[in-house]
Amino acid sequence: MKTFQTVAAFNAYRASFLTDKNEEKKPCIVICGGTGGQASGSNDLIRIIKRRILEQNLHDKLSLRVTGCLGFCEMDPFIIVEPGYNLYPKLKMENVPKIIDAAVKGEVVEELLYREPGSTVKRYSEQEIPFFQGQTRIVLGQNQHVDPIRIGDYLKMGGYAALEKALEKQDRAWLVDEILKSKLRGRGGAGFMTGRKWEMARNMKNGGGPKYIICNADEGDPGAYMDRSMLEGNPHAIIEGMIIAALAIGASDGIIYVRTEYPLAIKHATIAIREARRLGLLGKNILGRGVDFEIEVFHGAGAFVCGEETALIKSIEGKMGEPRQRPPYPIEKGLFGHPTCINNVETLANVPYIINHGAEAYTKIGVENNAGTKIFSLVGKIKNTGLVEVPLGTPINKVVYDIGGGPVSAARIKAIQTGGPSGGCIPASMFDLPIDYDSLAKAGSIMGSGGMIVMDENTCMVDVAKYFMSFLKDESCGKCFTCRKGTQRMHEILEDITEGRGTPEHLVLLEELALTVKDTTMCGLGQTAANPVMSTLRYFREEYERHIEDKKCGAFVCKQLTGAPCQAACPVDTEPWRYVAMVEKGDYEEAYRVIRTANPFPAVSARVCDRKCENRCSLGVSGGEAIAIRAIKRFVTDRVNPSVYKPQRARKKKKEVAVIGAGPAGLTAAHGLSLIGYGVTIYEAENQPGGMLTCSLPAYRLPRDIVEKEIKTLLNPNIKIEYGRALGKDMTLQDLLNDRFDAVFLSIGAHESWRLDLENEDVEGIFPSIQFLKAFNIRGEELARGHVGIIGGGNSAVDAARVALRQKDVTSVSLFYRRTREEMPAYEEEIDAALEEGVKVETLISPVKIHVRQEDIEAALKEGVELETLVTPIKIFSKEGRIIGIECIKNRLGEVDATGRRRPVPIPGSEFRVELDTLIVAIGEKPKSEFLASMGLDVNRGGRLKVDRKTLETSLKGVFAGGDLVTGPNTVIDAIAAGKKAAKSIDRFLQKGKIEKAAAPKLPSTYIEPAVIDETEAQTARRAEPAVLAPHERVKNFREVTLVLPEDKARAECRRCLRCDLAFTRDKSASQAASHTIEGAKHD
Amino acid sequence: MDTENILEIIKRSDKNRGAIIAILEEIQATYTYLPEAALRLVAEETGHSLTDIYGVATFYKAFSLKPRGKHCISVCLGTACHVRGAQAIVDEFKYELKIAPGGTTPDNEISLETVNCLGACALGPTVVADGHYFPHVTKGEVREIIARTKEEMEKINTETDDRIFRLPLSCPLCKASLMDPDHPLDGHPSVRIDVSANGRKNPLRLSSLYGSGAVAMEDPVPLNQVSPLFCPHCDEELPSFSICPECGSPMAALLVRAGCAWEICTRRGCRGHLLNLNQINLS
Repeated sequence: MKTFQTVAAFNAYRASFLTDKNEEKKPCIVICGGTGGQASGSNDLIRIIKRRILEQNLHDKLSLRVTGCLGFCEMDPFIIVEPGYNLYPKLKMENVPKIIDAAVKGEVVEELLYREPGSTVKRYSEQEIPFFQGQTRIVLGQNQHVDPIRIGDYLKMGGYAALEKALEKQDRAWLVDEILKSKLRGRGGAGFMTGRKWEMARNMKNGGGPKYIICNADEGDPGAYMDRSMLEGNPHAIIEGMIIAALAIGASDGIIYVRTEYPLAIKHATIAIREARRLGLLGKNILGRGVDFEIEVFHGAGAFVCGEETALIKSIEGKMGEPRQRPPYPIEKGLFGHPTCINNVETLANVPYIINHGAEAYTKIGVENNAGTKIFSLVGKIKNTGLVEVPLGTPINKVVYDIGGGPVSAARIKAIQTGGPSGGCIPASMFDLPIDYDSLAKAGSIMGSGGMIVMDENTCMVDVAKYFMSFLKDESCGKCFTCRKGTQRMHEILEDITEGRGTPEHLVLLEELALTVKDTTMCGLGQTAANPVMSTLRYFREEYERHIEDKKCGAFVCKQLTGAPCQAACPVDTEPWRYVAMVEKGDYEEAYRVIRTANPFPAVSARVCDRKCENRCSLGVSGGEAIAIRAIKRFVTDRVNPSVYKPQRARKKKKEVAVIGAGPAGLTAAHGLSLIGYGVTIYEAENQPGGMLTCSLPAYRLPRDIVEKEIKTLLNPNIKIEYGRALGKDMTLQDLLNDRFDAVFLSIGAHESWRLDLENEDVEGIFPSIQFLKAFNIRGEELARGHVGIIGGGNSAVDAARVALRQKDVTSVSLFYRRTREEMPAYEEEIDAALEEGVKVETLISPVKIHVRQEDIEAALKEGVELETLVTPIKIFSKEGRIIGIECIKNRLGEVDATGRRRPVPIPGSEFRVELDTLIVAIGEKPKSEFLASMGLDVNRGGRLKVDRKTLETSLKGVFAGGDLVTGPNTVIDAIAAGKKAAKSIDRFLQKGKIEKAAAPKLPSTYIEPAVIDETEAQTARRAEPAVLAPHERVKNFREVTLVLPEDKARAECRRCLRCDLAFTRDKSASQAASHTIEGAKHD
Repeated sequence: MDTENILEIIKRSDKNRGAIIAILEEIQATYTYLPEAALRLVAEETGHSLTDIYGVATFYKAFSLKPRGKHCISVCLGTACHVRGAQAIVDEFKYELKIAPGGTTPDNEISLETVNCLGACALGPTVVADGHYFPHVTKGEVREIIARTKEEMEKINTETDDRIFRLPLSCPLCKASLMDPDHPLDGHPSVRIDVSANGRKNPLRLSSLYGSGAVAMEDPVPLNQVSPLFCPHCDEELPSFSICPECGSPMAALLVRAGCAWEICTRRGCRGHLLNLNQINLS
């Protein structure tokens, strides 16, 4: 390598790289050797690649390029093979030889190609991958073409052409003008116009003294790593940007300030500086143009505040990094008192592009006042984590869903956090916001250096605020009292809230403190320190309130409010960890008592509970398989005689309660009240008890004898049931209250199906799902025949499909649902079972012009939308008063709506006709409750009854309501929970003056010795899945499909439990044991 | 603590340019912490007050005034790692090691630390043990990480590991083979070259296993000394095409098959090397 003395000589050298096209023809293996790649094992792959090339003598046929970060870190370690840009993700060492052999032959390894998670569509090239498609990678895109330790790669891409251009003219004011015109704004976060900064720096006279340009690569913002990736992956772009900046402002010295946590960035920057110097691009008399400029690398020593410019300067000067008052700004008096211009890494990386392509071209990217692109580190609860470069002004939705691929699990995304500890959270409802400096500021956040942390329902926003406050209290330099103490106090308050000691006054204090810290501190750290608190309070106040009032953390993050997650998740407060532990010990009767104490319907729940406990199981959420809690419950309830649990019944009191509806909510409430001693009369419209358990749930999921037996155990002399008596028909609320009842509990369920509201909907052969299921379950009538179509994707749609399939005159059953299968709200296993039995699921098909389905009804009702107006009528084909078919239109998935799911969009011209003999409409149910409104109760448009969330009291004194009537169609376990709550509430009402206990977190309190598990068992044990009947054994009958676990399997499954309860009971039991000994000693 | 050594570090630095942080970093790199005597020495030598030096040493997170263990495990607590459950990982390390972050096990083996962000946010939760990154760490892996840290991270079995392979090397100038079957290293013929040091040439034998790094020398070259390397057959100095990416010293090139080069750093003690698959141009 030789040092060039003239621009012309360097130009010739540069040109030699540009014309060397020979290399281009060879296939090239590209692999990331950046920190992210190395952390995922790319070094091992590189070794294997080199070995293969050498051993097979392939170096003439294939080249290897080890680059910095390529951005798609989620797929690391991956290889891209040029010229086809075939991307092979998440590789193992043994995959490598195959890829090399194919690359040499110009072929692809089909089975290793990238495909989106859950999809089978192969993406042949990088350009076809949605993650890359949505981006504009003018800066980051260069990384792929550069081995950062080889300056030749950078030259080959046209590197240092901008520097040549900048050196040409002796008057360099044009550089400042060009940057001004480009409207480039500081990418460090504040967004100050870079051109303005340069202009001021250029005009600053220092009487022959030095002038500095500093590249700020401190990147202290946790969750952001684009600066590291650029410095690691393409250091020459930043060096070129710095030299141009130096020429523009007349700087003599440059410093790259890198945090010490980035060793590879330091190494690559150092090598690049050395190489640039060797070519004569740095040092004295650069390329003979009479300019002297040097760059050195300075290591930060781990202080967030040093990203602030005055603190950064003090740090370079060897002092504590405390910010100082501005003005004077560093532009006037900076490093060692000399004029200093500080630019962020990404800002400088944009400079060569602007000089090469011109300011005008640059302003065409992005939006008004926000020109160019911005790189974000898209991380957290998102499918495609990595670095993403998009034009400013791109909506958040596009980044999160199109590029990021949406949520990582079933949990919905609820917010993004931008700007690090100085930024704020933006809720999902605002995701159509364009990402630019001004919009983000208006929303209460900031652009910051580009961290974009995605948060889902499993992220607690109070905990996030606490996290940032903990960070800031540690990182506050301590100079301003209000920052030092204010962040500490805010942190303590947040700690109180997350640990169950929060009071409503805390929120008032928190807001006051936040404003004080914001208004009375000196530097950026303090002035923005309150943002995480203020923005979460602004958008997620109800989460704070839930922590304070209910002592619950909805995301199950705050440990002291969650206890054992399975227990916290259970609507009826069962202690699953406890009965799992008892089963492990073989004490099945005790296990039954644990279950039964909390839940009057153990055997029913063991079959149809939606298993919130398993969804929250620590094993499952930490990447393993959740404990099969429901299957264990089934094991217990199948084996143990219910008589081992004998509830205590109080002597009969004088007061009487009427319960309307003998479903799970009504029966639970009646049972609870009867035990306290009240006389209860249940009025049931049908001729049998059970409600949804018997009329809508098919017997193959819940055998009738199980329901009957379980209900029998709940009845006692305090309970009377009157069948065939319906409220509104046989009596009114006033009748009941005037008669002998002191309180009434309404639990009539949701027994009316939503209509499609299409023409001909009332012709023969069309049935609302609930009518169809009831007819069969209660009266044994088989309404379906021939080709059966079912519209809807919820549980009742799937139940109806499977019941229809079991009817003798049915030839085929098709389910029509308007979104994709992943989004079907039925339980996943039910869909699988239905498919196995021969139900065809035609996804992405919905009847023409129908806009509303049950999940939207749910979501829309929550938002207070009026539903009926959205439904548009259309014709159903009929002949002689009977359905003969329907017309459907195909949908595609469009934009993401406020619920975080993609809207189905009909494709014009895709209409098609389906011949049907029976149509079952299962788009959702609502309570049949119009008659309640006339009795003076508050009923909303969806037919749901309004009650006090805490007490279940309606607007009529003495009348309570719960279950589906209040929530809309919901799960059995939630109905049972409502029944329990109603019993307590009604008791409190009837015993006027009974004091309500303050909410307290439900923490495990009993210590049970854990099983001893050795390492191999812990690692090899798999979740026990109960066996099911094979499709041919079950399809034309109603035998129970799911079988019970055998004893050995059930007990082994219990051994896998992580016993989250021990964190709360182990210490206590130890200290109890200790105190017992001490007491014992005293007695002696 | 070696006073001479510290004076050397201070002397090498640019005192006028406020190089305090760089000096302290180097001292810490040598001793794993900042001994009090060293701080006093730095204050004296640089003309700063001890208060200033102490201020700097306690302000920045990278510095420690307590000795650290032989191994260091850092758990990243960046935002991305936090939302993916990094706190539970810290708790697990605390439970397993029975120390709090910032502490060292009583046997002085392992120090546990938390860092604000390692910049490997896509891979969270991330743990770094002695410079080795562990991505997507789960609670269950904590014990394994501790065990691997204790038994040295980079231990490789040269016999069975796929990443280890033989490099048949020759002189890029006279093309004579440099393989020396009479003096095997790692159970294979070694690579014989000559090193010029202490005024004469001495044989230097390298392992021919790529990735092993084993070296045998008859007359050891002083540590950190850069010495030219020669071909024992043509007696010419091995050519240099690159500078060492690790330390900036010139590298010497050995020929691997037609055209490729294995370049090794000429500074004693530096393990910098490059297996360059590009054709080298001898002209």
